[in-house]
Amino acid sequence: MKRSLQAGLLVLCGLGLLHVSLFTDLCLRYVKEGMRLPLIASGVVLLVLGIASVVLDRAEEADEHHHHGHSGVPRVTWLLLLPALSLLVYAPPALGAYTAARQPAKAVVHDSDFDPLPRTSPLPMTLSDFTSRVRQDRGQAIKGRTIRMTGFVTPGDGGSWELTRIILNCCAADAQSVKVRIHGGPALPANTWVTVTGTWHPGGTLGTGSAQVGLDARTVTKVPRPANGYQDALPLG
Amino acid sequence: MQKTGALVVDDQAAVLDDGREPPRHWPLLLVGAAVVPGTLLFLLGRWGDAPAVQAWRTVCLAVTVQALPFLLLGTALSGAINAFVPEGVFNRILPRRPVLAVPVAGVAGAVLPGCECASVPVAGSLIGRGVPPAAAFAFLLSAPAINPVVLTATAIAFPGNPAMVLARLLASLATALVMGWLWLRFGRAEWLKPVVRHTGHRPGRSRLDEFRRGFQHDFLHAGGFLVLGAIAAATFNVAVPRSVLDTFAAAPWLSVLFLAGLAVLLAVCSEADAFLAASLTGFPPVARLAFMVVGPMVDLKLIALQAGTFGRAFAVRFSAATVVVAVACSALTGWGLL
Repeated sequence: MKRSLQAGLLVLCGLGLLHVSLFTDLCLRYVKEGMRLPLIASGVVLLVLGIASVVLDRAEEADEHHHHGHSGVPRVTWLLLLPALSLLVYAPPALGAYTAARQPAKAVVHDSDFDPLPRTSPLPMTLSDFTSRVRQDRGQAIKGRTIRMTGFVTPGDGGSWELTRIILNCCAADAQSVKVRIHGGPALPANTWVTVTGTWHPGGTLGTGSAQVGLDARTVTKVPRPANGYQDALPLG
Repeated sequence: MQKTGALVVDDQAAVLDDGREPPRHWPLLLVGAAVVPGTLLFLLGRWGDAPAVQAWRTVCLAVTVQALPFLLLGTALSGAINAFVPEGVFNRILPRRPVLAVPVAGVAGAVLPGCECASVPVAGSLIGRGVPPAAAFAFLLSAPAINPVVLTATAIAFPGNPAMVLARLLASLATALVMGWLWLRFGRAEWLKPVVRHTGHRPGRSRLDEFRRGFQHDFLHAGGFLVLGAIAAATFNVAVPRSVLDTFAAAPWLSVLFLAGLAVLLAVCSEADAFLAASLTGFPPVARLAFMVVGPMVDLKLIALQAGTFGRAFAVRFSAATVVVAVACSALTGWGLL
C-alpha cells in the first residue's frame, strides 16, 4: 500500500470518527455517551497523523521500495475503509425490534427495599422499574396505579406487541433488552417509539415471580426517539 | 514481397494473441458496464436494508468504534517504545540465565504495552537482538494481556468487579511463564524460522519521525485485523440468537472450553475483548476469564502473524500448547478467585 493511500485511509478514519462524535450524535447508536470524548480525541489524532503523513512523506515516496521497515502493511488494512465510509456516509441505525425479538428478556434484579411510589398520576417509570415492581415488590405498590412508560414497539405473535428498551453495557455488541407486554392499544409498526399509559395487566400473583410483566394500555402516543435511547431511563424533557 | 506479407500477417497474429485489440463482443461489455453496477447497487441497497443486515452492520461498527480509541492508545505506546527506547536496553535488563530471564520478560510485559498484533514483531526483533527465545515468547504472550491499557479496559468492562482484573492478570502471567519454561525445556531451534533483523531506528531520521511512522504502521496493520475481528464477532452475534448461546452456558467445563474456542475464532483485539467477554452474560465468570486469557495469546490472526514471523512449524506447535496451558491456568485461577 502506497504511503499516500495510507495517509488517505487515516484521514478518512479520522473524519468518520469526528463525523459521528463531534458533528453529530450518531455515535450514540453504537456506544455509550462516555465514549464520545475518547472518540473525538481518536478522530483528531488520526486526522493529524494522516495530514502529517501527507506533508512529511511526499519526498520519500520514491525511495520507499529500498526500505521495508515501516512501510509494508498487509492487504487486510483495506478493511478499515468499510467502517470509515460507513461512519461518513451510510451509518446503520440503532438496534431495535429485530434484535430485541431474538433475545430473552433481561433479568431485572432489584436488590434493595422498594421505596414508596410518588403520588403523581400517571406515574412515569422505567421498564426495569416496572418489571421489578411487578415481580418483586411484595407491598404491591403498583396495584391500581396508572403507569407511564416510553420505549419502542417490538411486534410479538398474534398481533400483540411488547414495549421494549435496549440497554448497552458497553457497546451495541452486548445489547440486552427489557420488555413489557402491552395488552390493547393499536398495532403499530416495529421500532415506533411510543409512550404508553395504563395499569398492570392482572396475571399471576403481583409481587412474586409468577406475575406477568404486562400493561393494559389506556393511551398510546407516538414520540420521537429519546437521546438516551440506549438506557432504560425516563425520557429526557 | 511475399516474405514481407507473411511477416505482416505474423505481426497481426501476435497482436491478437496479446489481446491488445478490442474484443469482438465489446458492445456487450459496454451494455454490461452500463447495467451491472446499477443493478448491483440496487440489490445491495435492498439487501442492506433488511433488519438482520442492519443489525449486523450496527454491531460490526459498534465493536470497531468502541475498540478504536483503545487500539490507538496501544499502538501509540508501542510506537513510542519502538522509537524512544534504545535497542540494547532489554538485553541489559534481563538476567543472564534464561530460566530467570523468562519471569522477568513476562513481568516486563506489564510495563511495555502493545496489542497482540504489535507484540509479535516486537518479540521477533527481541530474538534478533540476542534475547533468549523463551524470554521473548513469555513477553510475546504476557504483553498484550497484562498491560495497563488492557487491564483498564477490563476494569471498565467489568465495573465493580476488581477480582476479574486480578484474575486476568494472574492467569495470563502464569500462562506466559509456563509457556516460556516449556520452550526452554522442550523447544527446538529448528522449529524457528531465522528471524529477519528489525530495522529499528535509522540514522538520519528523528526519533519523532520514527515514532510517527511506527505508530501509523502499527495502527493500520492492527486496524485491518480489528475490522476483520469485528466482522466475525458481528456475524456470530447476529446469526446466533442469545438464547442458543445460553444453552452452552449451563455446563461449567463445557462453557470454559466453548468460550476458549470462541476466543480463537473471533480474534478480537486484546484491548477490546474484555467488552465482548462482559457481554457474554449467562456464562460463568471462569469461562469469561478463559475467553480473555486465551484471546490475546491465540487466535486466527495471531496464528497467521506468528507463522509469518517465526514459521509455520513454530506457530502450530506453539499455539496448540498455549491454548492448553491458558485454559488450565484460567480454570485454576478462576476457581480460586472468582
